[in-house]
Amino acid sequence: MNYPVWDVPVIGSGLVIAIIAVIHILISHFAIGGGLFLAMTETKALREGRRDWLDRLRKHSKFFLVLTGVYGAMTGVGIWFSIGLANPEGTSTLIHNFVFAWAAEWVVFLVELSLAAAYYYTWGRIPDKTHEKIGWLYAFTSFLTLFIINGILTFKLTPGPEWLALAGTGREAEAFFQAFFNDGFWPSLGLRSLACVSLAGIWSLVFFSRIDRETDGEVKIQLIRWSAKWLLPAFLLMPFFFAWYLLMVPGEHRDLMTLGMSTIGSGAFTQVTRMALITLMTTATIGLVTYFLAWLNPRDFSFGHGVSLLFLALIATAGAEGTREMLRKPFVVSGYLYSNSNRLADVPRKNAEGYLARSPWNPDRGDRPTVRTGERMFQGQCLSCHTVDGYRSMRKLLHGRDGKAIGNILQMLHENAPDSPYRKFMPPLVGTPAEIEALRQYLDILVNGKLTSPIVDPSAKAVPDSVKVDTLAAPAIDTAKKDSAAPAVRDTSRSTAPAAKDSARI
Amino acid sequence: MPDTDKLPSKVYGWLDERLGLTEIVALAGHKRVPEHKHSFWYYWGGITLFFFIVMCFTGVLLLLYYRPGEEAYESVRMITYEIHFGWLIRSTHSWAANLMVASAFVHMFSTYFMKAYRKPREFLWWSGLGLLSLAMLFGFSGYLLPMDELAFFATKVGLAIPGTIPVVGPWISDLVRGGPEISAYTISRFFALHVVILPALFIPLLMFHLALVQKHGMSIPESEEAKPESERKSIPFFPNFAMKDLAMWLIALNVLALLAAVFPWSLGPAADPLKPAPADIHPEWYFMTSFQILKIFGAWFPGAVGEFLGLASFNLGVVLWAIVPLFDPTSKSGKWGVRATYFGMFMLAAILVTTIWGYAVLPATP
Ligand code: HEC
Ligand code: HEM
Repeated sequence: MNYPVWDVPVIGSGLVIAIIAVIHILISHFAIGGGLFLAMTETKALREGRRDWLDRLRKHSKFFLVLTGVYGAMTGVGIWFSIGLANPEGTSTLIHNFVFAWAAEWVVFLVELSLAAAYYYTWGRIPDKTHEKIGWLYAFTSFLTLFIINGILTFKLTPGPEWLALAGTGREAEAFFQAFFNDGFWPSLGLRSLACVSLAGIWSLVFFSRIDRETDGEVKIQLIRWSAKWLLPAFLLMPFFFAWYLLMVPGEHRDLMTLGMSTIGSGAFTQVTRMALITLMTTATIGLVTYFLAWLNPRDFSFGHGVSLLFLALIATAGAEGTREMLRKPFVVSGYLYSNSNRLADVPRKNAEGYLARSPWNPDRGDRPTVRTGERMFQGQCLSCHTVDGYRSMRKLLHGRDGKAIGNILQMLHENAPDSPYRKFMPPLVGTPAEIEALRQYLDILVNGKLTSPIVDPSAKAVPDSVKVDTLAAPAIDTAKKDSAAPAVRDTSRSTAPAAKDSARI
Repeated sequence: MPDTDKLPSKVYGWLDERLGLTEIVALAGHKRVPEHKHSFWYYWGGITLFFFIVMCFTGVLLLLYYRPGEEAYESVRMITYEIHFGWLIRSTHSWAANLMVASAFVHMFSTYFMKAYRKPREFLWWSGLGLLSLAMLFGFSGYLLPMDELAFFATKVGLAIPGTIPVVGPWISDLVRGGPEISAYTISRFFALHVVILPALFIPLLMFHLALVQKHGMSIPESEEAKPESERKSIPFFPNFAMKDLAMWLIALNVLALLAAVFPWSLGPAADPLKPAPADIHPEWYFMTSFQILKIFGAWFPGAVGEFLGLASFNLGVVLWAIVPLFDPTSKSGKWGVRATYFGMFMLAAILVTTIWGYAVLPATP
């Protein structure tokens, strides 16, 4: 544990990122597809002499500017804040590898925003041809932002052997281009570009739905139909790119998906499949709604219809991004960094010297581990995916298990054997036997309110049958009382104090 | 109708000659659905129907693997944890069941407050009540079939309700249970009820219900009736209303798929009659009202008196609810119309309050 833990009660930090990210994606992908939409539509209008379109397009570009420039940028920064808090180790890894890419991203981003503003403010003030060029330039730079971020995003699932060979040596940047143009890069770029184009269509449908069908029926029909067409490429090509993408997903990660087809195995990790199904379902609905309501009845296409499409797109996006994120579990960077910030390569060392040995937040400071240590273990190694009472609640998942059964699970997590069912979605639990025992006690008290099985002294060879008050739990109570000055990340003494008192009765 | 000699038109022509499709389409186009600010409620019968169709479809798929009797639990375990997409079918079936009862309730109250039960639609009202009762029985009988812990104890509690009926009560309970205790026999009986008897009753009754809708057309709420004929708007049933109906079905399908995927129906541990019942055992939400009323009266008047009074007051409510078309038969019955509205509000409030109350007083899950 090198960083403080960001403990978001009930929903967990991961879900905070997810919520911000889904809104951001819905807007940022529109910023990209929308650039192309504005440019192409303007070109078409100029070539075919549709002056009435240009007027609508000018208003559309204002809506576009406000939405992408304000909300897109805000949520983008929001993602940065939240990933930095939730997963500092992972964020740091990405920054160290992709300094150059990110610097480039921000330059392009600035240019993109300036062009968007220029595009809107120069309507009718400069020659048509020049204005059209600004539009195309905007479309190009916005696509470039996707191109760059796509390399970083796909890297996490498929970093590639060249980069992994250098990982941890400090020379990772030498494999920059291999890491950037990784296996997932092209299929993912295809998928995202298609999503951008569809979202451009959907947002435009929302916008143009407000044209009055009585006074401007003809323009409305034309523009709604034109926008609806933008969904077509996605429906034709999506399956192809999706299959390609799946092909690039490393086998062990793909297993999650097949697992989810046959089971919901309560406690097993099958959300991936279910998320993917939701995306499939909502995407199909978007297709039907667009065809029947927008293409066949463009005049009657209402704002409500548009908003429902947008809502469906929101769910589809959430499902798709959720699938992508979960496919990568239990890693942040596949084969290198686990979701709970442990590096694969550090596991043996941490098992030998202790998970908290070098941590500034080590409550036992060289003494025998205590329940407080157990709590730190939980915060450091489990909290990135679980919460105590809410999302993937530890209390619920462990419900009905006594101390011994909890010990068995922890042992399985620790051993992380190749055939362990947990291996597919949980990282190994690292630490010395004494630390793991401390975690076991903490979880036992958390779930059952008190210790429900004998204390195991990990330094003894055989597991004693009798309860040894003398060993681990005893200092647990002392420390819990006097250790209030310990550098706690968050004051959790409220939740553990009564529990710790309970354990005194044993 | 199409007059080119492309293949689809040829097929259509062939079928039309034999089945008279054009007439049917013309008939459907003839029927008109009123359009006004309460039109939204016209969709709820259709939504209920949609969920019923989903139930039939997924039910048949479940039949392929479900085995009643001793192996019931094992077979559901297999469906949930082993068979490809078995969990999806089971989740969809269970969620659709709940959504169907819920939308039937919405449909019932909306037709009630729009006063669609009035002359000449009394039989629509009665057949509707029959359908709702059958739907609830579907739910009750289906709930036991997986035979996990929750199903076992909830059914035990549920069967105690008819058991409180004086004289015949215990006999009824024994009959459906197939003995004094819930066992593999009970499953076989519930299974027969669930997949043979109830559908055999439900489907004809549904046909009757729909035929009556067809015969009488949609009712118009009083606020619309007050308007002169020329100001009332309506749209043709086919294709306009049918399209909107389909859009609603699409929404319903999405909601259903979302629920089934995000909250897949889980399976508890196998039922063990020797274990003590969990403290918070309770029936499905749509039986909560009757469960809670019995509990309230039981607390007020201990013993058989309480049981009887609870049952009596519950049944009184149901009977009054059923005969509402008799005491509020026409829109001219001013005073009774207002009373019926108040009665409806009372019933709605009573159901909501007892249900929420019922859940609030359950002991917390440990
Ligand atoms: C990479 C994310 C991740 C991390 C880190 C993580 N878990 Fe999990 N864990 C999961 C997922 C996903 C599930 C499946 C939850 C479900 O199916 O609802 C799960 C399930 C569980 C279960 C239930 C297993 C079962 O068989 O019922 C337990 C117990 C559990 N985790 C304990 C822990 C403990 C203890 C830690 C910390 C050492 C931890 N987890 C760390 C992702 C994680
Ligand atoms: C449980 C399954 C049921 C199904 C599948 C069903 C189906 C339908 C359908 C499709 C309609 C026409 C559209 C509409 O008005 O919504 C309808 C109308 C009606 N239903 Fe039902 N229904 C069911 C239950 C009920 C119940 C529980 C009641 C009330 C007790 C009820 C009373 C009525 C009435 C009064 C109408 C006529 C509405 C009008 O003319 O405005 N139905 N039903």
